[in-house]
Amino acid sequence: MKRIKISYILLAAMVLLPSLGHAQQYNGTSGFLHIPSAEMSHEGDARMGVHYLNKALLPDTGFLFQGEKYNTYDFYLGITPFEWIELSFTSTRRKDTRAVTGEVGFWRKDRYASIKIRPLREGRYHPAVAIGFNDVGTTAFNKERTDVQLYFTNIYVAATKHFGFGGNELAVNLAYRHYFRNYNNKWSGLVGGLSFRPAFFPQGRAIVEYMGNEFLIGADALLWQHVRIQASLIDFKYLNLGLCLQLNMLGKKYVVAER
Amino acid sequence: MKHNYSIFRRNCLMGIVLAVLLMSGPQRSWGQSEKASIDFFSGFEVGLYDFYFYQKYNVVFNLTPGFKWNMGNHWQLAGQARLTVINQLSNDVRRFYPSMLVLSKELKAGPVYLKGSVGAFSNSRYGFDLKAFLPVTPWLAFEAQAGLTGLLTMAGGWGMSPMGRFTGTVGGDIYLSRWNTQLRGVVGKYVYTDWGFQAEAMRHFNHATVGLYAKWNNIAGQLGQEGVSLTQSLAKGMDGGFKVTIMLPPYKRTHRTVNFRPASHYSLTYLVRGMAQYRDANQLYYTDPEENMRDGWFSRDLLKWGSHTMEPDFIYKGKEETE
Repeated sequence: MKRIKISYILLAAMVLLPSLGHAQQYNGTSGFLHIPSAEMSHEGDARMGVHYLNKALLPDTGFLFQGEKYNTYDFYLGITPFEWIELSFTSTRRKDTRAVTGEVGFWRKDRYASIKIRPLREGRYHPAVAIGFNDVGTTAFNKERTDVQLYFTNIYVAATKHFGFGGNELAVNLAYRHYFRNYNNKWSGLVGGLSFRPAFFPQGRAIVEYMGNEFLIGADALLWQHVRIQASLIDFKYLNLGLCLQLNMLGKKYVVAER
Repeated sequence: MKHNYSIFRRNCLMGIVLAVLLMSGPQRSWGQSEKASIDFFSGFEVGLYDFYFYQKYNVVFNLTPGFKWNMGNHWQLAGQARLTVINQLSNDVRRFYPSMLVLSKELKAGPVYLKGSVGAFSNSRYGFDLKAFLPVTPWLAFEAQAGLTGLLTMAGGWGMSPMGRFTGTVGGDIYLSRWNTQLRGVVGKYVYTDWGFQAEAMRHFNHATVGLYAKWNNIAGQLGQEGVSLTQSLAKGMDGGFKVTIMLPPYKRTHRTVNFRPASHYSLTYLVRGMAQYRDANQLYYTDPEENMRDGWFSRDLLKWGSHTMEPDFIYKGKEETE
């Protein structure tokens, strides 16, 4: 029976992922693909992962090498110490020429911390509400400071409501996001999306979202309760991929990665 | 006069530490401390130093073999060495050198728990150290530490200075048992002559503790320098990050007179600001090779407070009492 179940999961994953591709969580917090949501990981969850980032998902400046944008990757550590707060730390690699040898590689990095807080849990009639900060320090509010790199700096408020039908689950997500610099403020403003978690494969979900300037489709899944994979396509063209190891430090086991 | 005061303070602290070491009153002891035993163990250290924009990390990987001779009645002799396997940081460090050798004694004096230590501590310090912990309620406790130390290092050749540096901290702890969450705040004077404060919030999970911390010190904060206001000093001197302590398996163990095992834990600390004035800020030392933020200063079988009220990380076969 167990063998059948695992086979079923694998088969569903194989079918779903190539067709939907892409996923966010590129900074170790829960959310949709690129837009934040009010869903949270489970209390005690720790995440460690790596994410391949297409250049279309990067800021317009700061990630240029010899005048051109490039694909890169990041890695992150994240934790949900309580059910109402998530913390993470992300390092995004930047391409450069090594000073001594002249070798081209991802020698440089942009590091930032993320905080997500959910003050309002989802109720029968109202959505969950979360607020969050990416890479926000005092310099973010100082427009005169141009020497500090704030490529991923943004704040947001998100509302998410789930609806169930026939064992399936549909999540409606709406968020307002503000970027502090013009590197990527094309993604500022109202953003939103839908996710669908099928009854026959609750470990996974398909997502479609509007990220402020482009559309994004994708899927993610929690496999074997510890391995989280994600894939997404920006404007149906630009692929992003993510792989994450997830453990619950309270020893609990979950089928669904976030709630 | 200042010199006399210094001598008084030195002698006073040395006297107290020696008194704690020599006291062996009718302490209740059970668990591992009832019977002498010796543990040989090894942990490891991984340092990823993110100093340079043109390089991913400077990697340091050390093995940290050590021993603990539990002499009974909470007397302990412990030592540790450092074996460098990978070192991309400095050419001046020996591949193998002793780093700690400490004799310590824990005891309960009325409501106060005391720990006196003498020897070579971590962070290249040697001397005397006294720790005190006062649980007031199951959720509130106060703590203090005082040390009189000098430099003692064998990392890059023999280096030693007179034992004249006084360090001391005082602080409080709040433990929220429902969430196994601990809040800690201390102010103090530290080994590099700086003074400052530190606040920590940590949650203890199954076999792991994760914490956030913030700290400020007067040197990084340039306190008292011309043109630096108090607000500016607070901003300049503030730093923080996160800490993780993972207790290493196996969690079910057999305890014999002589034991070989992995170190009790692996810990890492991340500091947001990597510059020297922040790395060296608010520094003290460990007096036990396996000291960590999860277990605190005192043995689990002596002090039942905070994380020591949780399920033990290590269960010893054939013993009712566990560590």
